[in-house]
Amino acid sequence: MNKTLEEVVSIEFNRQIGIDTCLMGFRSTSLASLAKPGQFLMIHLGRETKDPLLRRPFSIHGIKDKNKLMILYRIIGKGTSLLSTFKEGDPISVIGPLGNGFNLPRPNERTLFVAGGMGIAPLFFLTQVLNEVQKHKFKMFLGFPTSQEVVLLDQLKDLNVDLSLTTEDGSLGIKGLVTDLLDQYLGQRLTKRPVIYACGPTPMLKKIAQKSFTFNLKCYVSLEGSMACGLGICQGCAVKAANSKDKPYYYVCQDGPVFPAEMIDWEVM
Amino acid sequence: MVSSPNLSVEIGGLKLKNPVITASGTFGYGNELIPFYDPSLLGAIIVKGLSLRPMPGNPPPRIVETPCGLLNAIGLANIGIETFIEEKLPFLSKINTPIITNIYGHTIKDYAKMAKRIESVDRIAAIEINISCPNVEEGGMAFGTDPDIAAMVTDQVVKNTTKPVIVKLTPNVTDITIIAKAVESAGAKAISVTNTFLGMAVDVATRRPKLANITGGLSGPAIKPMALYLVHKVVANVKIPVIGLGGIMDYRDALEFLLVGARAIQVGTANLINPKTAMEIVNSLTDFCVREKISNINQIIGGLKVNGENHEKGGDKKNK
Ligand SMILES: Cc1cc2nc3c(=O)[nH]c(=O)nc-3n(C[C@H](O)[C@H](O)[C@H](O)COP(=O)(O)OP(=O)(O)OC[C@H]3O[C@@H](n4cnc5c(N)ncnc54)[C@H](O)[C@@H]3O)c2cc1C
Ligand SMILES: Cc1cc2nc3c(=O)[nH]c(=O)nc-3n(C[C@H](O)[C@H](O)[C@H](O)COP(=O)(O)O)c2cc1C
Ligand code: FES
Repeated sequence: MNKTLEEVVSIEFNRQIGIDTCLMGFRSTSLASLAKPGQFLMIHLGRETKDPLLRRPFSIHGIKDKNKLMILYRIIGKGTSLLSTFKEGDPISVIGPLGNGFNLPRPNERTLFVAGGMGIAPLFFLTQVLNEVQKHKFKMFLGFPTSQEVVLLDQLKDLNVDLSLTTEDGSLGIKGLVTDLLDQYLGQRLTKRPVIYACGPTPMLKKIAQKSFTFNLKCYVSLEGSMACGLGICQGCAVKAANSKDKPYYYVCQDGPVFPAEMIDWEVM
Repeated sequence: MVSSPNLSVEIGGLKLKNPVITASGTFGYGNELIPFYDPSLLGAIIVKGLSLRPMPGNPPPRIVETPCGLLNAIGLANIGIETFIEEKLPFLSKINTPIITNIYGHTIKDYAKMAKRIESVDRIAAIEINISCPNVEEGGMAFGTDPDIAAMVTDQVVKNTTKPVIVKLTPNVTDITIIAKAVESAGAKAISVTNTFLGMAVDVATRRPKLANITGGLSGPAIKPMALYLVHKVVANVKIPVIGLGGIMDYRDALEFLLVGARAIQVGTANLINPKTAMEIVNSLTDFCVREKISNINQIIGGLKVNGENHEKGGDKKNK
C-alpha cells in the first residue's frame, strides 16, 4: 500500500487564472516528496463546515521547489465555490497522495496526451516530470469549450510540448473536439504507434478508449467517480470492470484513477 | 491533579475500554485506516457488513452528497465471510480492541450459518446483525421492518453463537420500539440505533435519480436529530444497552447520545471525511470528563435532565 498522509497545510496562493478556473498552491515537503503524476488529493473544506460535507478530490497538478503542491480546479458547485474563497495563510486539511498514478512511458515510446478541460491538471504534471527525463517533444491535444476557459497556454509553451488546441466554438485554436483531432491523427500513416494518456470528461474518454481499441493502441485513462472517502473504504467510487469474472467493479480511488482503457466496461459508462 | 477518568463501558458482557466504536461500512475491514492512528485506542471496531458469499454491490453512481448528508446505495459490496476470515482477520487480530462483525443474510438460514461460522473464530468478539440495510433487494431492511421476522433472525443467530449478539435497527418503520422489544425478547444483548434513513435525490437537468439504485440510505449530520430521538425512544423501552449512532461528527454529538441513554456510540460517515474522528472523540471525551470532574463515563450515560429529573429514571436504571 502507498504511503498516505493527512496534513493540515497552509495555503500559499489561491488565484483565479481564467473564467471560473483557479490555481491553488500550498507547502508540504512530505506530500511533495511522495506525489506522482496521476495521483490525487482529498481536500477538506473546513472542520466546522457540514455543508458541503465530504472532502473533494483534486488531481495533483504540479510540484514546485520540492516543497509546494498545486491543484488546478474549476468552480462548478458548492465545494469548489467555497474552495475559491480560501486565502493565503488559511489552513486546509489534505489527504494524499492517493491512487496509483500514471505508468511512465518507456524512453523510446511515442506518447500522445489528450486532455479535455480540467483533464489538463494531471497531464501537465506528467509532462513536467517527463520533461526532466526525456528529450523528445510530446504531442498533446488539448480542448476547452470556448476561448474564455482556456488556461495554461504559456506554461505549456515552456514545456517540450507539441500542442494542438481546440475549442468547441472555434473561438481559439481549431474548432471542434480533441477527439476530432485524434481521428485525423490516427487516420494518417503513423511511423510509430503512440501510447495514449487521456484525462477529461467521461464521454471524451469513452471515445478515446474505443479509438484505441480500433487502432490497437495502448491507452491510459484517468477516470473520475463520485467519491466519499478516497481511501478505499466506502466503496462508493465503483466503475464496472470489463472482465468482471474475478472483480465486478474497480474502485477509482484505489485501483485507479488511472486505468488501462481495456480494464473498463465502456458500454455502461 | 485528577486521575484519568474511567471511560470503560459494558455492552452485553463485552467490556469496552471506551464507548467509541467505528460503524460498519465506514472503517473498511480495518487496515485502510491504519496509517492515520492506532485503532487499539478505540472501544471496538465493527467491520464492513459481510454476507455468506461475496456480493458485487450496486452499479454506480453509488453515492451522492445532499445538504449535510451522504446518500449511499453501496449495496453491501463485500468479500464474503470466508475471505474476510482468511485474508482480513489476521491483520485485524493484531489490534488490541474487540472486533465485531456485521452480518447480512439473504435468508434467515444465511444469518444462522454465518453465526455458526463466526462462533468458531476466537478473535471475533461479537456479532452485529444488520437487518436494516435499505440498499439490497431482498432481506436487509425487510427483515428489520417486521417484528416477527426480526425476532426470528435474532433467535437463529443467538441459537448458533455464544458471542454477544447486537441487532442493528432500521429507522424506516412507524414505531421502532416494537422492533426493539421484539429483538430483545429474542435474545439480543444490545441494540444499535440507527442505520440509514431511506432517501433519494434527483438531477433536475437530466430528470434522472442521482443514484443508479434510485433510492439510498441517508447518513451524516443531516440525520442526527432523528437518530437521537430514536435512541431516546428505544432506551425508554428496552432493558438491554443501546448503542447510538447517526451523524456523530465530534465529542459533543457523542455526548448528546450518551446523555439520552446510549451506552456506547458509533462513528460512521465522519470516518470517511476525517479518518481520525473516532480517535479524536475518545481524546475529547477524556478531556471533557477531566474538565467537568467526571470520574466515570457512566455518570453521563442517561443523564438527560427532563423537568429536573434524570432521564434514566424513565427505564434504563437497572442496567448500570
Ligand atoms: C480523482 C479525481 C480527480 C479530480 N481532479 C480534478 C482537478 O484536478 N480539477 C478539477 O477542477 N476537478 C477535479 N475533479 C472533479 C472535482 O472533484 C469536482 O469538480 C468537485 O468535487 C466538485 O465539487 P463541487 O462541490 O464544487 O460540486 P458539486 O456541488 O458537488 O457538483 C456540482 C455539479 O457538478 C457535477 N459534478 C460533480 N463532480 C463532478 C465530476 N467529477 N464530474 C462531472 N460532474 C461533476 C454534479 O453532479 C453537479 O451537477 C476530480 C475528481 C476526481 C474523482
Ligand atoms: C458508505 C456506507 C456504507 C455502509 N455500510 C454498512 C454496512 O455494511 N452495514 C451496516 O450495518 N451499516 C452500514 N452503513 C450504515 C452505517 O454503519 C451507519 O449506521 C449510518 O451511516 C448512520 O451513521 P452515521 O451518520 O454516523 O454515518 C453504511 C454507511 C455508509 C455511509
Ligand atoms: S471513494 Fe471511498 S472507496 Fe473510493
